[in-house]
Amino acid sequence: MMRIPRNCILFLLATASTFCAGGSAFSAQSEAQIRQAEPTTIVFFVVFAVLTLLISFWAGRRATSSSEYLTAGSSISAGQNGLAIAGDYMSAGAFLGLSALIYASGLDGMFLAASYLASWPIVLLLVAEPLRRLGKYSFADVLTQKLRERPIRILVGASTLVIVSFYLVAQMVGAGELISLLFGIGYGPAVITVGLLMIVFSTLGGMRAATWVQIIKAALMLGGSCVIVALVLVKFGFNVSDLFKTAVSNHPNGSQIMGIRGFAQDTIATLSLGVGILFGTAGLPHILMRFFTVSDERAARVSAFYATCLVGLFFVMLFFIGYGSIAILRGDATYANASGALYGGNNLAPIHLARAVGGSMLAGFISAVAFATILAVVSGLIIAGASSAANDLVVGLSGRHLEERMRLRISRISALSLGILGIVFGLACEGQNVAYLLALATAIAASANFPLLFLAIYWDGLTTRGAVVGGTFGLVSSVALTAMGPTIWSKVLGLGPAIFPYDSPALFTVPLTLIVCWLVSIAKAEPEGDWQLAGSPAAQYVE
Amino acid sequence: MRRASVHRTTEIVTSGGAANRSGAFRFWLVLAMIAAYFATMAFLIYSARHATETAVVTTDFSPAMIALAICMAFSIILTGVFVLVRQGD
Repeated sequence: MMRIPRNCILFLLATASTFCAGGSAFSAQSEAQIRQAEPTTIVFFVVFAVLTLLISFWAGRRATSSSEYLTAGSSISAGQNGLAIAGDYMSAGAFLGLSALIYASGLDGMFLAASYLASWPIVLLLVAEPLRRLGKYSFADVLTQKLRERPIRILVGASTLVIVSFYLVAQMVGAGELISLLFGIGYGPAVITVGLLMIVFSTLGGMRAATWVQIIKAALMLGGSCVIVALVLVKFGFNVSDLFKTAVSNHPNGSQIMGIRGFAQDTIATLSLGVGILFGTAGLPHILMRFFTVSDERAARVSAFYATCLVGLFFVMLFFIGYGSIAILRGDATYANASGALYGGNNLAPIHLARAVGGSMLAGFISAVAFATILAVVSGLIIAGASSAANDLVVGLSGRHLEERMRLRISRISALSLGILGIVFGLACEGQNVAYLLALATAIAASANFPLLFLAIYWDGLTTRGAVVGGTFGLVSSVALTAMGPTIWSKVLGLGPAIFPYDSPALFTVPLTLIVCWLVSIAKAEPEGDWQLAGSPAAQYVE
Repeated sequence: MRRASVHRTTEIVTSGGAANRSGAFRFWLVLAMIAAYFATMAFLIYSARHATETAVVTTDFSPAMIALAICMAFSIILTGVFVLVRQGD
């Protein structure tokens, strides 16, 4: 009997799902209630989906080892990695969410953008180089250089999977809503389509495919945003003052949109959010994973610099897109209702703006780039989770390092499982607050991962017991306090007044985790003994 | 197992030496970034609570926008300075 290669089956499955989604979107146009899908959008969508699948097919043929699959064989250049990291930041959440926040309330969106950018020097200065020097697959490799390996890998594996899951669910919910709105298909088919493509993409192509799609997408996103900004400025004769005056006169909050508004209401809440973002980026698994794809510390350092510059450029363009949306879309009955809410939701502000200044061709292009963004970010998340599952959780639980083939197999099975989990939870969480889930993931990363990584690199006194107790405290307390905060306790669960008054607990949990790690570490000295497991990757660095 | 232990000692000595060379510089840059970020936040909150209508609409960019732009530019400059200095190591 003829044996069909697994890669071909996956490729055909994904291509079929792409064209089914495109077809259903096209047929949906005749329905009166759905008016978002346009032929140009569908054409761009199908072209991008097929292109990403071809890239994953190409990369999949090279991914014969876990090193190649999880870290692209550490062969990505600094410039490419900088673009890929920037691509991770130019997610649908940033592009659509921040633009929507500026459209709704002015400079509040730019405050979040500046917070994310300010977190990059922290990543570069504190963790980028040590990670590349000491790590191979996950940041647990850095911790296990000086701490007992088994409990640390279990802890890091658990916290990584929790963070990745929250991020994944948030992205899937956002993806489902976006694709549903853009292509006029139901939420369920949208989540399943994105999920299938994501599973094929991440299971087959691995980190090399995710990196190249991020690079292409980042370049297209920057190019597309540049075109929108240029066209907006042309509309106002390159007079920024006119743009702001029109925006102020269009917006019901008037001149208040020129300053922050929502974040000025509660200083402690804003401070806590800021601490979470500032230190959370240095604990996000899918961002840290990027530093293992380059060859050395110098490349890690330079790629962080490139990423900071590109993300900064992107946020500047978001600023003009946001204010341009207020000036052009508000008050135009084609795009917004009488109260100023955009048709299809405020998240579609950049898409509507692209249509207003560049026609359906530009809108279709931007929509397809937004779709590619979701696919690339979600795939990066899945690979980070798969890497931690294969190299941390399974190793920690079994007490031994895996052989190369087994590690690759478990990585792919983990990617598949996470993808299915993402589809199921994405379907279950329809209508949930995406921004809340992302904030929770960042707060957990800041509370559970960052203190451990920081102390392991810069303090020789950290003991395994201190790291495990502190890390567990950070993980549990950040999840519990966020669950007891206003968003989930009152708004999502409807359980009455919140027990914990702030959405982000990072202001309290980050310093407390550091203190717990310190106290437990100084309370009892680490017993001397063997701490590396059999077949430890550390042995590879000896010679 | 013994080889791994030897490796660990070497690694820590090496990274400790490197950390000593650039540790103070790195420390001050981190502090500068954190201070700049929280100073920006404080200014934004203060200016939002004491905003005057006329002061805002007569300028191209509001003081809050300029403060955010400075904070963002500072982030980029800081990373650039660090990368440039470390290239010589």
